[in-house]
Amino acid sequence: MSVESNNELASARAQETSDKKPVLEAVGVGKRYPGVVALDDVSISLRGGEVHALLGENGAGKSTLIGILSGISAPGSGELRLDGEKQEFTNAAQAQNLGITTIYQEQSLAPDLTGLQNIFLGREPRRRGLFGRALLDEKAMRSRVAPLLEEFGLTVAELNQPAGSLGALKQHALQILKALAFDARVVILDEPTSGLADHERLSLFDHMRRLRDRGVALLWVTHRLDELFGLADVITVLRDGRHVAAVSPDTETPETLVRLMVGRETPPGVSGASSRAKRWTGAADEILRLEGLSRGVLLDDINLSVRRGEILGIAGIAGAGRTELARAILGADRIDGGQIHMNGRQVRIRSPRDAYRHGIAIVPEERKSQAVFGDFSLTKNISISDLRRTSTARLVIDRRAERKQANEYVDKLGVRTSGVSQKIRNLSGGNQQKVVVARCLFSGPSLLLFDEPTQGIDVAAKSDVYRLIYDFVDSGGAAIVISSELPELLRVSDRILVMREGRIVGEVVVGGDADLGSEEGVLAEKIMAMAARGGAA
Amino acid sequence: MSIRDRLARTAAVEGAAVTVAFIVMVVVFAVSSPFFLTGQNLHNLFVESVFTVLLAAGMTYVIIVGGIDLSVGSVLGLSAGMTLMTASKGAPLLVAILVGVATGLVVGLVNGLLIAHLGVNAFIVTLATLSIGGGALNVLTTRVELTGVDSTAFTNLSQGSVLGIPAPVLMTLAVVLLLEFVLIATPFGRRIFAAGINDSAAHLAGVNLRRLRLQVYVLSGVVAGFAGVLLAAHLNSVQPDLGTGFELTAIAAAVIGGVSLSGGQGSVWRAVVGAFFLTTLSQGLQLLGVDPTWFTIVTGVSIVAAIAFSRGTQWFASSLRPAAPRPSAPAAEAAEPTHAVNR
Repeated sequence: MSVESNNELASARAQETSDKKPVLEAVGVGKRYPGVVALDDVSISLRGGEVHALLGENGAGKSTLIGILSGISAPGSGELRLDGEKQEFTNAAQAQNLGITTIYQEQSLAPDLTGLQNIFLGREPRRRGLFGRALLDEKAMRSRVAPLLEEFGLTVAELNQPAGSLGALKQHALQILKALAFDARVVILDEPTSGLADHERLSLFDHMRRLRDRGVALLWVTHRLDELFGLADVITVLRDGRHVAAVSPDTETPETLVRLMVGRETPPGVSGASSRAKRWTGAADEILRLEGLSRGVLLDDINLSVRRGEILGIAGIAGAGRTELARAILGADRIDGGQIHMNGRQVRIRSPRDAYRHGIAIVPEERKSQAVFGDFSLTKNISISDLRRTSTARLVIDRRAERKQANEYVDKLGVRTSGVSQKIRNLSGGNQQKVVVARCLFSGPSLLLFDEPTQGIDVAAKSDVYRLIYDFVDSGGAAIVISSELPELLRVSDRILVMREGRIVGEVVVGGDADLGSEEGVLAEKIMAMAARGGAA
Repeated sequence: MSIRDRLARTAAVEGAAVTVAFIVMVVVFAVSSPFFLTGQNLHNLFVESVFTVLLAAGMTYVIIVGGIDLSVGSVLGLSAGMTLMTASKGAPLLVAILVGVATGLVVGLVNGLLIAHLGVNAFIVTLATLSIGGGALNVLTTRVELTGVDSTAFTNLSQGSVLGIPAPVLMTLAVVLLLEFVLIATPFGRRIFAAGINDSAAHLAGVNLRRLRLQVYVLSGVVAGFAGVLLAAHLNSVQPDLGTGFELTAIAAAVIGGVSLSGGQGSVWRAVVGAFFLTTLSQGLQLLGVDPTWFTIVTGVSIVAAIAFSRGTQWFASSLRPAAPRPSAPAAEAAEPTHAVNR
């Protein structure tokens, strides 16, 4: 296809878009809670066959807007229109019956039910039996999804498996099928790509295109600006609960979008980077060395070392054993063989408690389920890693000292909060993550493990987290960073190890002062080749 | 500030509702029965409530850490039996007390080892030890005559008083204060809350969950054992079914007081208020001359009413407070903390 016809197509589509009637509209909706204006006079219209991206920092009102559009919360002011007619949903089920489906960032499937059961959950077709129409009609279920399976990369066998045993991408596909099986006209995707590896994201984008081509209106929330281009037709930006702009991706760059989101100029290297003063240049004492670390089939003969002042990146696709490696170092899982050396001495780490004693702490992958104590204040979230430090005679917690310490960390790490006695559940994801880092630092570690440190947090918070990692290694620590985002790894790491199927299959040294821009693409390709099957070992 | 705001603020104070419900009940009883507020009746009320109070206090620890301990009813009876047996054989008071407490410790240790180290479900483990403990007391009462001990020291344990306050009440008060202090002011207590709120996070933050759970079940057993000692001294005789049903009363007391059964929330004093609520209720009903066959029904209805009142107040309080900033995604919000680690 020639460039010209491509352009024609694009303009034709643009023409079409403006002609299309909106399916679901929010007109001047607002939502306020005492003391907080979550959403203020926001309008958005979703058209069939259009991918509408929704951008904004954490706390900008995206979640509130989604909640209103999907019927979870009622707008305080303004109205919703479906096909131009005023519509009031009182709950999510009602919205779903009207064809509005929401796919959340955190999977909302029942993990123990099969894919098929999940798709029809609560709306199972029935057939006649002993007690009237009381029996489930599995045949009808199967025939309804059969034509869609292949298109969205699922097999019949996978449909019979527990949904929890499927990968994140397949689970998304299930949710899409769930939407389509009920003739969804609007599909809302809340950060669907978090937790997906790069190639999986591409498949998901294909799924989204297919939905679009079927005439479904998509609303897509994402933090990754690089994803938008080539897929989004319209971009709406929210900031502080207000509608800032509705723009076309053709006229924007990631930089201009960030400016719209943040409302101020951002430091250079916008897409989440912040520059590090100095890179590690080699030759410092070894903090951690692993020799032949093994655990079943998950980890096979892992050898690595991290030195003082170094950031070691770990790349690999989902299931390559990266998180397992972190858990093994931390003692969260028992290892079968191999040795762990800290600061030149062999150590036995059989529990996270041991790891902390030897100066190792982790910022876990799943913030909500593995890191945050939602009902605890910031203070308690921070001090839990070393309660004795602020205790009198190691027995009684000195609350004043505890609060003072927490305040210091909160200031130093730039956590945005109304106070350290605030419950952490009320903070945005990025600020929660900073508190988790503060907790790790509080235990005075020499090695910090970061597992997907910027998952689901906004651009500004991302560069803050990078800065925390830099500060930590620059002050004499060592860090291991696991990430599915290659650009992130390339920016942050001094050296990257590539894992595949539980083994380390390659190493890439990231050049210090070289122009990253030109080098990055080459390194990324090299890493991808090793991470996928068949790369140089 | 409007009256509505003021009310909401008061209602938001943890445990305010159940305290109010308790006071209302006391007023009702005091008005309807002239005997309710007499010195003798209050004395009886306090002395008879110490057992439920102690069990509920220990249970609070277990529930906050995310578990349950059904065995305390049997521990209460069995340790009373062991104490009385030891005392009746002429052993010094201190030895008798230690035997009673040690009985609780052993049961707690068994519970803790099975739950924390083998990862067996707490409900099942403590249901089994409840059954075993009850059986052991049955066996004990058939072999040994467990009545009247002639020892002034032993009698003093229940009959003695300081400044007019009965000794068991004083000792219970001391234990309760100590338990509350440990729970809110020590690293141990803080870890219990942390494990109850999110055990995966606690594990990854360096909390030794196994040891913590073991300690909590041992603590619950020891406290129940001590309650058994006081019960032996109080009754000076032990029947085969002694302690039956106390475990459920203790759990009900904790829940009425607002200790969350899903873990991570609660305090000892709130469970104690709940325990007082239940004891006062049953005593008040007796005073009012309510037909004893109706007792359990009235008690059940009162429990439901107390909890409904408490939840209603909380709802009222939260309706005037700003909601969490991210009110959407309830599917995610509702997700329980994972209990995969070490269970």
